[in-house]
Amino acid sequence: MASPPVTRIHSFGGRNLTVLTLDGVTKRFDQTLAVDALSFAVEEGEVFGFLGGNGAGKTTSLRMVLDIIRPTEGRIEVLGRAPGRTNAPHIGFLPEERGLYRQMTALDTIVYFGRLKGMTGAGARAEGTALLDRFGLAANTCSTVDKLSKGMAQKVQLATALVNRPRLLILDEPFSGLDPVNQGLLEDEIRRLSTGGSTVVFSTHVMQHAERLCDRLLLLARGRKKFEGTLDQARAQLPARLWVVSRQSPAGLAGVDRAEPRATLADGWQEWDVRLKPGIAAGDVLEHCVAQAFPLRRFEQHHASLHDVFLHIVGPGEIRS
Amino acid sequence: MKNVIIVAAREFRQIAGMRSFWLTLLILPFAFALGPLTQRFLQKDEADRVMVIDRTGGAEARAITDRLNLDRDRTVLTALSRYVRRHHLEKAGPSALWAQHDRWFSDPDVAAFRSAGGVPAAQAKLRRVAPEGTPDFDPPKPEYEIVPVSGELANVPEGRLDTELKRLLSPPDKDVKAVDYVVLVPSAFGTSPVVRLWANHQPNAQFVATLQDVLTRDLRTRYLQSQGVSSVSAQAASVIAPALAISTPPPGGGAREAMLVRSILPLAAAYLLMMSLMLSGSWILQGTVEERSNKLLETVLACVSPEELMYGKLLGSAGVGIFMIVVWIACGIFAAYATHGAIADMIRPALDPLTSPGTILTMIYFFIVGYVTIAVLFLAIGAMSDSMREAQGYLMPVLFAILLPITLLIQAIIGGSGGIALEVLTWVPIWTPFTVLARLGVGIPTWEVIGSGLLLAAFTTLELVFLGRVFRASLLAQGQRPSLAQVIARMRRG
Repeated sequence: MASPPVTRIHSFGGRNLTVLTLDGVTKRFDQTLAVDALSFAVEEGEVFGFLGGNGAGKTTSLRMVLDIIRPTEGRIEVLGRAPGRTNAPHIGFLPEERGLYRQMTALDTIVYFGRLKGMTGAGARAEGTALLDRFGLAANTCSTVDKLSKGMAQKVQLATALVNRPRLLILDEPFSGLDPVNQGLLEDEIRRLSTGGSTVVFSTHVMQHAERLCDRLLLLARGRKKFEGTLDQARAQLPARLWVVSRQSPAGLAGVDRAEPRATLADGWQEWDVRLKPGIAAGDVLEHCVAQAFPLRRFEQHHASLHDVFLHIVGPGEIRS
Repeated sequence: MKNVIIVAAREFRQIAGMRSFWLTLLILPFAFALGPLTQRFLQKDEADRVMVIDRTGGAEARAITDRLNLDRDRTVLTALSRYVRRHHLEKAGPSALWAQHDRWFSDPDVAAFRSAGGVPAAQAKLRRVAPEGTPDFDPPKPEYEIVPVSGELANVPEGRLDTELKRLLSPPDKDVKAVDYVVLVPSAFGTSPVVRLWANHQPNAQFVATLQDVLTRDLRTRYLQSQGVSSVSAQAASVIAPALAISTPPPGGGAREAMLVRSILPLAAAYLLMMSLMLSGSWILQGTVEERSNKLLETVLACVSPEELMYGKLLGSAGVGIFMIVVWIACGIFAAYATHGAIADMIRPALDPLTSPGTILTMIYFFIVGYVTIAVLFLAIGAMSDSMREAQGYLMPVLFAILLPITLLIQAIIGGSGGIALEVLTWVPIWTPFTVLARLGVGIPTWEVIGSGLLLAAFTTLELVFLGRVFRASLLAQGQRPSLAQVIARMRRG
């Protein structure tokens, strides 16, 4: 679906503002420590991924940001203010567990949430109609939610989050339960909002979406922050790997940690799985090969997936938990 | 506040969109509309035909006929009095019996009405003052018609009467009118008290009572005469009866009949409060449970605080309750002033308290605060329940505990009792609104109204604080059925 043109918003001469700050935030439920001294900041216009397994504390953190629950300790700042409903006009929220009033029409539902976010009835109606049109639901404006398919209802729910053109869009596991078409639609909307200058924070445990969308991400396990940074910085947490075809073992090359043969090819050539020492770039090794006239037929850097990074940082035990 | 109103408006629209709401709303107007029709169906088209075979010489038959005619004229006089009151025609004869209302017309009253010319004379006077378009008085149809005894029956021996009367009570020819009652006063009546009655259906209790009364008087007269009392004295002694003068506090005004009629509005308000709570209670639960089970709450709570949500829901459901009451009262007013009949006659004086601002304010206060007091309970139950089934499990005992004593007490008030229990329940806040409303009609001291009203306000405020905490804490606690200890903990900590 083609998105209409949007204008990127630059603030203070291009310098981004901090939209969301968590500073030493802890949340306990009776004896359970759900979030443990969590600190991070999200800049305006960023797409920020909040990654973690089930029970990592993602939803609890987002609920605290929205003032649905209060932190036990620590400080939260949203759009320069403490969390609260005064922020509602600038925030869009799509929870993990979604539902709508079954007897309300699609448009009335959007208008209702628009009005709760401080919009006028007419403004919410106009924006809701435009959103339904954009999502291909123009013919279902007056259909009650119980008459809509699940996919249609998901689009209506997304529209309720977007109706106020939020400065900060918070999505809790937004892709779970969505069909591929709606997943694409949501990705488009996230990019569209980001291009328009809005900030998007979303939690997920599906790494592919985060890889495609996030400017920065945060890995969370058992309520504790394990990593915060860009995708490249995340990947840098894992030693680089190369796939090399050569006649002799690259194990002796400078910067190589170890090399394991993968397959034997014709004429004495061999395929190798090469792991570099931490901090060594693939380019350095290639330069070294050229300098030493090390015969190569193939030199391919293998980029670590976010999933690998997650497993590396968080550990399989945490994932299982 | 804006969010509270938006939530309330949505709540109102959601409930108003339910079929059950409209069915409930229309039940009462439908009953009002059905009332006159039912009355018409219940009314007999034809008078019961009565034959009196008097073998004592005819005095007993005359006495029975006179009494039935007297009762008929009493019914006519009562109906005429209602007609005069309905059309405000008292000025046609301010001292006339038919210009006096809410009273029992005695035998001398009926005799005076007859001697003044009865219905024709009254109608002549009324027509002179009746505004144009006023319908003429339509006297009620007589209940009994005396049919003459045929010559042959008069002489049939008593032993054969069972056979002979069959053709009269159930004539084989459909075109021949049946006789409904045959009374045989045997020639030995006086020495023997036996009188026989044949009926072609279950005899009307009122008819039997009238018959018994007339014949008892005669037996007493005969007995007194046999004891040497003169005929005049004996007759006078047999009809002697006390003239009971009844005094009750206002607004009863005197007779029990008037007291009940005047107290029907506050009593009806107590009933309506009970009904609207029972009905809208399930709607309140449904709305709250829907938000939980449809996983809507997080989306809603991102925009409004739990308190705004709770107050919005309360306001919306209270709006529904008040809307229902307004519609019902409007239908009552319409029924009272745009229709005729016994229901209209009963409702019209019952609406008298609506002219008193104090009564209106008291009724509105206890109705609204009472509604909120109970509705908060429903909201807290809804917030703790994951499904309607679970919610009903909590709701039923609560409803039972609140409404059963009230049902019994209202019946006690109607029956003219209630005693100390009524006064005690007036001071128990969850029952205060019902008891005060119900007692308004029969008279309740002002200090009790003010005191219990203040106590109710304090209780409701505390209830909003503590159950508000339960509501807030329970909203996101899905899949956890709280124990009593947890509910108390939520009340304390929120």
